[in-house]
Amino acid sequence: MLASIPSATLLGARGHRVHVEVHVAQGLPTFTVVGLPDETVREARDRVRAAVQSSELPWPQQRITVNLAPGGLRKAGAGLDLPIAVGVLVAVGALAAEAIAGHAFVGELGLDGSVRRVPGMVPLAGAVEEPTVVVPAECAHEAAIVAEGRVRGVPTLRSLVEALTAEAPWPTVADPPATPDDGPTPDLADVRGHGFARRALEVAAAGGHHLLMVGPPGSGKTMLAQRLPGLLPPLDGSTALEVTMLHSAAGVALPPGGLITRPPLRQPHHTSSVVAVVGGGTSGLRPGEASLSHGGVLFMDELGEFHADVLDGLREPLEAGVVHVTRARAAVTFPARFVLVAAMNPCPCGLATQPGACSCPPAARARYLQRVSGPIFDRFDLRLGINRPSVDELLDVPRGEPTAVAAARVAAARVLAVERSGALNATVASAQLDEVAPLDRAATAVLRRELEVGRLTGRGLARVRRVARTVADLDGRSGRLEEDDIQQALQLRGDPLDLARRVA
Amino acid sequence: MSAGLPPEAWAAHLAGLPGVTPARLRQLLAVGPPEEVAARLTRGDRGLAPSRTAAGTDPLAVLASWQAVAGADAAARTWERCVHLGVRVVVQGWPGYPDVLSADHAAPAVLFARGDPGVLAGRRCAVVGTRNPTQSGREMAALLGAGLARHGVRVVSGLARGVDGVAHRAALADGGAPPVGVVASGLDVVYPREHAALWEEVAGRGLLLSEVPPGTPPEAHRFPLRNRVLAALSEAVVVVESRATGGSLLTAREALDRGIDVLAVPGSPRNPAAAGTNELVRDGARVVLGPDDVLVALGFTRPADPPARGERRPRPAPADAAVLALFEGEVLDVDTVARCTGRPLGDVLSSLGRLVHQGWLRRSGGWFEAVGAP
Repeated sequence: MLASIPSATLLGARGHRVHVEVHVAQGLPTFTVVGLPDETVREARDRVRAAVQSSELPWPQQRITVNLAPGGLRKAGAGLDLPIAVGVLVAVGALAAEAIAGHAFVGELGLDGSVRRVPGMVPLAGAVEEPTVVVPAECAHEAAIVAEGRVRGVPTLRSLVEALTAEAPWPTVADPPATPDDGPTPDLADVRGHGFARRALEVAAAGGHHLLMVGPPGSGKTMLAQRLPGLLPPLDGSTALEVTMLHSAAGVALPPGGLITRPPLRQPHHTSSVVAVVGGGTSGLRPGEASLSHGGVLFMDELGEFHADVLDGLREPLEAGVVHVTRARAAVTFPARFVLVAAMNPCPCGLATQPGACSCPPAARARYLQRVSGPIFDRFDLRLGINRPSVDELLDVPRGEPTAVAAARVAAARVLAVERSGALNATVASAQLDEVAPLDRAATAVLRRELEVGRLTGRGLARVRRVARTVADLDGRSGRLEEDDIQQALQLRGDPLDLARRVA
Repeated sequence: MSAGLPPEAWAAHLAGLPGVTPARLRQLLAVGPPEEVAARLTRGDRGLAPSRTAAGTDPLAVLASWQAVAGADAAARTWERCVHLGVRVVVQGWPGYPDVLSADHAAPAVLFARGDPGVLAGRRCAVVGTRNPTQSGREMAALLGAGLARHGVRVVSGLARGVDGVAHRAALADGGAPPVGVVASGLDVVYPREHAALWEEVAGRGLLLSEVPPGTPPEAHRFPLRNRVLAALSEAVVVVESRATGGSLLTAREALDRGIDVLAVPGSPRNPAAAGTNELVRDGARVVLGPDDVLVALGFTRPADPPARGERRPRPAPADAAVLALFEGEVLDVDTVARCTGRPLGDVLSSLGRLVHQGWLRRSGGWFEAVGAP
């Protein structure tokens, strides 16, 4: 009358082993679930009973107690429906305990007995150790990423019982439906003009530098940002798995092969909440957009329109590359190392990058700029004004350089950087800079002068050196930084919002 | 009616009535001495209702609003404020009213003044322009302000942000002729606030004028009225930079109505801050390339040579000089410079960086502009 079924539950982006213990005893017919279940797990009682009865399987009119062990771990989501149902069937003797030995189960049940997909199948399948993992047929391909050859996909509870009792073979799993094709990735060859911005994208991709673009509406900020992921090299094995787990945990559709190998691009809308961007939530602690762009690009259009607390919430991931989400009952850590690309207008009328063109009252302009706090503004290594390309540029210039050519330079520069310091240039510690980015005499003189006239602060100095290092790496030079590198870096880390004049 | 208040106090009081336009004020003061007009207003004398009102406005309603505030207490308060601030009140037709304005068809009936009214006796030229000028606009405003003041010409301006403020600062810094400021708010309501020190200096060294009593806020409709006084006070109006819809163009129009010379500093056709001035040039305004052009327009015969100052910036290298040469009156972005020179982007960025570094260019948002000699 007792059964113990292995399964897993999701907390953040990680799966945790759970044992579903079912006890059926004489007494008034009741059905209780204990062991820190959340609301969805408690609702499992109704789904499981209906699913079992719809599948024409026996349901005991007895006292059923389900315990989810370990008792201290919070359980969330409907993935425990299937193990609870199997547990009840074993406890009443409809299934033999030997038949399920070595099997773990994850899946949600429909009232008609169908087995439905659950988010986070990749980390869930990764958490169980049994030789066979039974999962919903719909997401068998996701589970196979981490449990290749151990996965059984089942479409219904009935088919599962038949397979376990050897009345029928295991159902064959159809190939997953192809995810809707996003079309070809946008290529830099489609961009006309914008030589400066292309350069900035290349530097951002090569060094992992965060990029702020300031420009009037229609100047091409979004178009440029969408081409940054194409410049990044494919994700390496461990990062690809990490990214896939995060996307799976958030319930985002995975590509046909299952594993995400291209750097993702996420574009949260400016009305997004802190939880949506940073991660968290009342049930299940879902990864936010910052973590979904791990290994790729987080593009925030209209940066000034985001809530101030969303921007402040990004300070931790920008600095540390992870997000710690702590709630009263659970704490999780999501990886979140991304290149932040932000775009904004220079002022409410959008024209202020051009001298004398803005018609906004100074107070309105100041209010607009105050929406982006200094600490956030400071974290952008690259800050440039984007202008609408001139007619000549739109018509005359031959087609721009394709992404593949620039991506090759980026890849070479990244190899140089990683060989030198083990990390991308943007994340080199200040203390390491003298060793990683030594300056020649002329370069030192330029920086000294910039510091003396107050155009550069101590923190800005470190950022300029990191950018200059990337500029030199893109040229294939690994030695001391030269004056040209510094001059380019100073221009790439500009002041497109003209804050200097505003303060003066 | 309370005795003891001088006639000027009553005139000042009438100038502060709600919704009183220059024309209505003139109409009121034509009725009789101001203290008598005020007394009749408190009785609600229908003969004083404005003769013309906008469609839908009842002249009697306007009169009622005047009657409500036309007490002796309010007049005394206004007067106390004027005395406290050292503001003098002058009324058209009375002694002390500036001669230059007495013949004007739309002269303010009552003027509030701080400073020395005698400065209006000298040569006067308005220097006006946009509140948001480019670097070259700023430099030009400063050059004109200083150059005119040095030759004894009073710089008349509106003390606004941008060109107005720069011109006055330069005039004051040069220690030449005293400046004249005409403002749209009460003389104790400093607008823009960051010009507080400039207001004090203009009032202390020259003359500060307003046609509204102290305490009046800088409402938008007062600026075009201010511009008309500004134009009427000047012998010539120089517009340094103005967008196509700028307020400085209103000043220029007021000047043209009065047969006063309008001069304009031309700019690049692609510079939006110079769109208005370029239109003035196209419409026949005299071109200003420096203070000498203004002095000639004012009838000075042989303008003195501007004192030359040594160039202390390092001479740019040939490649950088070629880049700098593109900036003749233009505001350019990186991509345009790269296209014009045909050099690789990295080189262009380095050149631009060096030129900024040496002080030849300044960066503003995503654009670069040349910096004149310091």
